[in-house]
Amino acid sequence: MMETRIILLIIVPLGTAFIIPFIDLINAKLRRFFVLLGISIQIFNLTSIVVQYFDQIRDGSLFLQYHLGGWQPPFGINLVMDNLSFLFIAIVTLSLLFIIIYSIGYVGHHEGKFYVLYFIIIAASNGAMLTGDLFNMYVFIELLTIASGALIAFQRSHPGSEAAIKYLFYNIIAGSLIFFGVLLTYFNLGTLTMADVANNFAALESGIQLFITAIFLTALLIKMGVFPFLFWLPKSYDSSPAPVTAVLSGVLSKIYLYLFIRLIWTVIGFETIVALNLNILLIDIALFSSFLGHVFALQANNIKRLLGYSSIGHIGMIFAVIMLNTEAGFYGGILHIIAHMFMKAGLFVACGYLLQYTVSNHYRDFKGVGLRDKPVFIAFIILLLSMIGMPPLLGFASKWFILMAFLEAQSYFGAFIVIFGSLTAVIYYLRYIAKGFEEVRLSEDDLKMEVFNQPLLSVLYREKIVTFITYAYTAVIIIFGFGFRFLNIPLRMSIESIMNVERYIELVLGG
Amino acid sequence: MHKYLKKTLVISVFILTAIALYENFLLVPEYTGLRTGVSDYIISSGLSDTGSLNLITAVLYDYRAFDSLGESTVIFGAVSGIVLILSRKMLPVSSRGLSFIVKRTFGLVTPFIALFSLYVITHGHLSPGGGFQGGVILAVISIIFSIVYGSAFDYRRYSPQVKTAMETMGAFTFLGLGVVGILMEGFFLKNLGFLTARTGTLISAGSIPYVNFGVGIKVGAGLAIIFYSMIQKTFKEDF
Amino acid sequence: MRNNFIFIILFMLGLYALIMKTNLIKNVIGLNIMEASIFFWVIAFSDVGGEVAIHKMGEEFSKFNDPVPQALTLTGIVIGASTAALLLTLIIELNQFTDTIDRDEIEGLNN
Repeated sequence: MMETRIILLIIVPLGTAFIIPFIDLINAKLRRFFVLLGISIQIFNLTSIVVQYFDQIRDGSLFLQYHLGGWQPPFGINLVMDNLSFLFIAIVTLSLLFIIIYSIGYVGHHEGKFYVLYFIIIAASNGAMLTGDLFNMYVFIELLTIASGALIAFQRSHPGSEAAIKYLFYNIIAGSLIFFGVLLTYFNLGTLTMADVANNFAALESGIQLFITAIFLTALLIKMGVFPFLFWLPKSYDSSPAPVTAVLSGVLSKIYLYLFIRLIWTVIGFETIVALNLNILLIDIALFSSFLGHVFALQANNIKRLLGYSSIGHIGMIFAVIMLNTEAGFYGGILHIIAHMFMKAGLFVACGYLLQYTVSNHYRDFKGVGLRDKPVFIAFIILLLSMIGMPPLLGFASKWFILMAFLEAQSYFGAFIVIFGSLTAVIYYLRYIAKGFEEVRLSEDDLKMEVFNQPLLSVLYREKIVTFITYAYTAVIIIFGFGFRFLNIPLRMSIESIMNVERYIELVLGG
Repeated sequence: MHKYLKKTLVISVFILTAIALYENFLLVPEYTGLRTGVSDYIISSGLSDTGSLNLITAVLYDYRAFDSLGESTVIFGAVSGIVLILSRKMLPVSSRGLSFIVKRTFGLVTPFIALFSLYVITHGHLSPGGGFQGGVILAVISIIFSIVYGSAFDYRRYSPQVKTAMETMGAFTFLGLGVVGILMEGFFLKNLGFLTARTGTLISAGSIPYVNFGVGIKVGAGLAIIFYSMIQKTFKEDF
Repeated sequence: MRNNFIFIILFMLGLYALIMKTNLIKNVIGLNIMEASIFFWVIAFSDVGGEVAIHKMGEEFSKFNDPVPQALTLTGIVIGASTAALLLTLIIELNQFTDTIDRDEIEGLNN
């Protein structure tokens, strides 16, 4: 079904990003109004789509399309919104909304440029999830790389520039590999539309299939931070400001997971992966990456770096459980994507608030953090418990489904990794919780230091916004922890749209 | 010793990768894309569909115009990032420039450079060229001003605010033509049929020349801003 | 065939500069050589001996090369230039803190 509103999901944030530098020239005070206007239009737009197509979302027949420039799919670019991309867009928009409200309270200097880059990230993430065209996907991935790379160096500090350089080197290599893979696909099949490629990919020679698949997989493994290429990730999580880390961990890695699902199941086809004997290899790589992430997290002496390593562990776990290609695996995997998105973003957001008075993110500086602001620290602890997998919280539900999926597929190493991850998480998080409640006595020299004299968030309402967002994340985790059955229908429907590739191809190419 | 060992190891890995790549390239068949698929359609009916003689421009600004919008947004994002990262620095103001002969010569040549860039931008649908290429030539003018006449001259003529306004204007031209496409033709970035004139004339091919013009201004201003930011200097007493 | 050889040589040169050289600017150059090798290969591969896909007024339709890879490569070049500019900017910024652009001497890049 043709629907104009799904293109508005991309061009409204793009237009906001374009207009902000111009507004800055006229009157910088108007800027926040336009930011709020942009996100309100975006939310209104998404809500109106949900309201109008509510029945179709419920019975799984949602399929909205848009042909850009009026060209039919093999010739032009098309946008597709099925149940999978709808679920991802809904949660990503919610998460990005939380983070932008947080950054209204957090970002002090150079707000204009921050919002420009942030709105480019919103537009590019929606575009990457909606697009049904391989080359368009490459363009949006590069847009995400550029905007997030510039945001990592937002504080213009020494570690920030180092992290951004490292991040950009890895991600530009991944981007050129995606370009190469897309062009190879084009040369072999003469088309760039995902549905058309999916239709003809199985007919290719197996050597070329392996070549193209290997190139795409390498690029996506770099982007996601899975085992052989995980070395850029902790540094960039550590050195960037809190909202940017929340975006990197909470949103970008999930978008790459979505693109991975799209490419492997819709475009390349899982039968091809099995025929190439890649599935067992990928599960093993992912589980090993998860193992490494948890082991590194044990020795990390820096809270943000620790959370980065734990991200590696969780993403490896999700990756492995999705690669099982069973319904239970997808159910647990996508539920954990949602859970991890809110938990990690909430943790980084809370970290940004809690660590505002400390000298560094180091373990020894974490002393007494909990005593200074108890309610936020309790929210922080709830989120940590959810990461560990405590029963009434969302993290428990998703980890339980992942464990069940591994046991059902008789992948006992995977089940071991899930339990191992939870056990190590208990060790490395409890250390920080204990340290946070330690009494701290500031010496005269400490008090003289600039950090203690000038808090970053001096304005009162800003502090309220920042703490409110932390509580909002915690509330999401607790509410969905009790009522994760609400997510049952969207999850089942998105699994159906992953599995039913023939319907995707038919609907895109047929009309 | 350790260094040589590492070097040998890396080079042997490279050779293995090269052999693997070579083996894989042997599998790729000779290029057959012209007989099937998209390109065949575009070559045979691209002219009648879009009215653009240059089929590459037709692909860039009509069939796959959304990619070009993303591409110009990449430049926009890069410019914002660069200005953000280097914002602590300041422009070293110099009004000295180069010698009289150079100044006089470039005073004669610069209008022609501007004319050439305008030619490349506006003839994007007729001959090789287009917004991106012409925009790069346009950015050269600002660079020449800074080098030959000193940065103060460039600052007076085209201050960063003017450049930012130009960049935003270019971006909005592209986006706005897309939205006009929704309103008048029913699709985002659809070629505006009512603007089409006789094929081969300067203002033919629907909205392609206007999109080219917007992209040209945007790229020119964006690259000039990048150059501007990069020649800035840090003064010790910053903040 | 010859194109593949040249592509592999260029790609490996770029990779060598990226991995073995310790100067950050040289690393960026290596990255750009890698990208350029891919662009070169795409253009060379799509050349089937026809003309550039531009109609000429008053002439009949003749055999054209595929316009799509050329348009895609143009997009790729612009994106590559933007990323390189951002990377160089970051190196300029880092140089202020460290007074060096040698990768081995900057500790933060190695952990």
